[in-house]
Amino acid sequence: MWKTIIRRVLVMIPQLFVLSLLIFIMAKFMPGDPFTGLITPETDPARIEELRIKAGFYDPWYVQYVNWIGNAFQGDFGRSYTFNVPVSNLIGDRALNTLWLALLSTFLLYLIAIPLGVLAGRFQDSFLDKSIVFYSFIVYAIPTFVLGLINLFFFGYELGWFPTSGTVDIKYDSGTAGYLWSKFYHILLPAITYALLATTGVIQYLRTEVIDSKSMDYVRTAKSKGIPINKVYSRHIFRNSLLPIAAFLGFTITGLLGGSIFIETIFGYPGMGQLFIQSVNGRDYSVITALVMLFGFLTLLGSLLSDIIMSIVDPRIRID
Amino acid sequence: MSFMQIKDLKVHYPIRGGFFNTVVDNVHAVDGISLEFEKGKAYGLVGESGCGKSTTGKSIIGLEKITSGSIIYEGEDVTNKVRGRNTAYNRDIQMIFQDAHSSLNPRKRVQDIIAEPIRNFLKLSPGEERKRINELLAIVGMSEEARLKYPHEFSGGQKQRIGIARAIASNPKLIIADEPVSALDLSVQAQVLNFLKDIQEEYGLSYLFISHDLGVVKHMCDNISIMYKGRFVESGNRKDIYTNPQHIYTKRLLSAIPEVNPNDREERKKIRRAVEVDYLTNHHNYYDENGRVFDLQPVSETHQVATSAQNKGGI
Amino acid sequence: MKNTEAIEPTKELKISSPPTGFQVIAREFMKDKLAMFSLISLIIVIGGIYIWATQIDQTQLMRISLRDKLAAPGDKFWLGADKGGRDILGQLIIGARNSLNIAIAVTVITSIIGVAIGLVTGYFGGWIDNIFMRIIDFFITIPSLMIIIVFVSIIPKYSIIEFIMIMSLFLWVGTARLIRSKALSESRRDYISASKTLGTRNFTIIFKEMMPNLSSILIVEMTLNFAGNVGLETGLSYLGFGLPPSTPSLGTLVSYANDPYIMENAWWNWLPASLLILLLMLGINYVGQAIRRSADARQRLG
Repeated sequence: MWKTIIRRVLVMIPQLFVLSLLIFIMAKFMPGDPFTGLITPETDPARIEELRIKAGFYDPWYVQYVNWIGNAFQGDFGRSYTFNVPVSNLIGDRALNTLWLALLSTFLLYLIAIPLGVLAGRFQDSFLDKSIVFYSFIVYAIPTFVLGLINLFFFGYELGWFPTSGTVDIKYDSGTAGYLWSKFYHILLPAITYALLATTGVIQYLRTEVIDSKSMDYVRTAKSKGIPINKVYSRHIFRNSLLPIAAFLGFTITGLLGGSIFIETIFGYPGMGQLFIQSVNGRDYSVITALVMLFGFLTLLGSLLSDIIMSIVDPRIRID
Repeated sequence: MSFMQIKDLKVHYPIRGGFFNTVVDNVHAVDGISLEFEKGKAYGLVGESGCGKSTTGKSIIGLEKITSGSIIYEGEDVTNKVRGRNTAYNRDIQMIFQDAHSSLNPRKRVQDIIAEPIRNFLKLSPGEERKRINELLAIVGMSEEARLKYPHEFSGGQKQRIGIARAIASNPKLIIADEPVSALDLSVQAQVLNFLKDIQEEYGLSYLFISHDLGVVKHMCDNISIMYKGRFVESGNRKDIYTNPQHIYTKRLLSAIPEVNPNDREERKKIRRAVEVDYLTNHHNYYDENGRVFDLQPVSETHQVATSAQNKGGI
Repeated sequence: MKNTEAIEPTKELKISSPPTGFQVIAREFMKDKLAMFSLISLIIVIGGIYIWATQIDQTQLMRISLRDKLAAPGDKFWLGADKGGRDILGQLIIGARNSLNIAIAVTVITSIIGVAIGLVTGYFGGWIDNIFMRIIDFFITIPSLMIIIVFVSIIPKYSIIEFIMIMSLFLWVGTARLIRSKALSESRRDYISASKTLGTRNFTIIFKEMMPNLSSILIVEMTLNFAGNVGLETGLSYLGFGLPPSTPSLGTLVSYANDPYIMENAWWNWLPASLLILLLMLGINYVGQAIRRSADARQRLG
């Protein structure tokens, strides 16, 4: 077990290395440099030039790369020139926002998907099952940004049930109950949107799992022993089907990261996804490189997590 | 005079493991066997499943990579040669597969299936090719209507006959038949076997007949080799093996053949028990301390048995 | 297995057909009314878009006329006008055609690359397979959406061709992985071994023997990829990293919604494009899933 985990972690290192190289090369191709933002009519071009030399702008690329990686390991990704703060501070704030959104989304996802999956499996081929299957098809097919916009339009603007952007109402002081509630209220619509979009995988998996276990011997035994049918589902089938679902957690993280770019842009939610789009538009390349690296790392971590959970839950699956 | 010799053939598969997935050991699927083929004769390869008999067949025809040893075909070393359409060896050695169904491409019509070796090896004109396909279908007892059909429209026995038609299309000298009837119903088995025998006599074919069924092999083969754990334990002609078995493993196999006659049931049970006792007491004479089978030692001109050097005098 | 007798095609058909392929798919669609409806609607909608698009003069369409700024739907503009006073309906048609063209191009390119790599690695295995699997693993674990966006933002002289290339660069991976795994199991089947022993060349075996047997999987994969590519292209254009702003795209139309005023007060600017995307995605995906059912004998309706 530990051996395979360590091996997987070791495999991650070259992947991160190649990714960092790719990002570094792309950053080199980006127009402008960290000092372009400092140029104003008053600045002396010679002074900028001096700063560039000092920052190693004219060093060979591999020296620059090693410096960049070395600093990155110490948590120093440089300064954002549009916000004029260290990148790590900037990302830190935004990451927390994204984390809250992710946690609530994941919670809602399982809250919606688990009952639907189990019900669809239990009442296979009934009208209920068909409706659930159809629902999961719709949310599978609909693109993130389309559902996001439609939700925002109807529930945010037309019905006015939810706030349409931001993380919190400015009228509340930090730490009060009203503040927390307002924060939660702001995350709710984006989180529901994301949760709905991600339900398909869990529903389909659970449904098949329940249908399959219906014909398993242990379920037949339980039924023939005279255990009430509800108990058979809650005690036997549900428990056995639920464990593999845990493995979806890793994939959920991966999916959330990609989705956050759309969701946060649409709902004006200041998380990492929105920051990324802002940075690309502002050519703030120290932020871009840091974010891509971070997302790459989290994606790898997500798939690792899934594999580990999977191998714990189902020892037949070996991760190699 | 034999047209093809196999010398000390070995096929080993690496077992990977450990932290860096390095080769930690080898599976000795085939571990040093030698065979010679003469024209018009059938050779049987018998053993339990997993003993390496199929691997032997596949490595001879080039589907498995040979680790060491050599295959000499008409004086030429053809070991591990890339199979192509320009060498006589590839044209002259063909194969019949155990699972006829999966050995026929489901998306191809029968005429294209049978034409594959013809197009690769014989370079006939379209008219001649057509004629040849009809001829082959006639040989395997199928009507010309079959040409335009797809494999799934035939029964198991018919599919195997299509497989046979394909194997003999390029006029081969040796056909490797890997359990050709074990997937078929008993009634169909006999039909296909007799039919294989007929074409052997008619065209002077040689067979390498791989089977776990001693009855089938007895019916089909002139020379028989018994295989265990990648090695031959005994090799000889039909009479040697069936009337004068020497190796304890062969004896054990033969005693396990079910008998139809119920009258001497008790007697046969006694024989089986005696064989088992013999097997346990003389185990060390036939297997070394690692359970590996010894090298073959000649018993008579045709008969060889694997036994320890000390035991040799005792036989 | 409701209709076991109906799966027996040999009795009713005079001309033999292979057990998979177009006939089976066609039969599935005859049985599945909703899939048939989706297919026909899709053909009508997509065909309509392409025919209509030929009737629209793009330079005329993209001419700014401030007099008609955000005009509501009416006689002059059936679906109203945008901030520049340009007809939404015309942009919708041209935009849909552009989006479909890009999605088709990306699907074709990624399928060709993915199938070729998947078949070769799956068939040969060994070191070729090892190398490509490392590459594929790498592509799967990187945040490709972000990297596509960064690519789009740094490419000078950016146009539709570059956009298609960038998307394709990251999207062949899924197809390659799927086809590889199918090719891997297919190449262990005896008919492949048989072809080897019959002297057929590897190249011929891969593309003439093995590929036809993977055709249904390939059709499914291509259909679902097509839907995915429509989604991705419109999504990227929505974020502003897709088609250049001068070229109408469904995503660009949807992105008008980023202006809260337009979002709230001029729904005709963005909602029709969103609904058209939704319609296309539902239709293509439904057709894709129906084909998948027909490719899998256990799921067939009849």
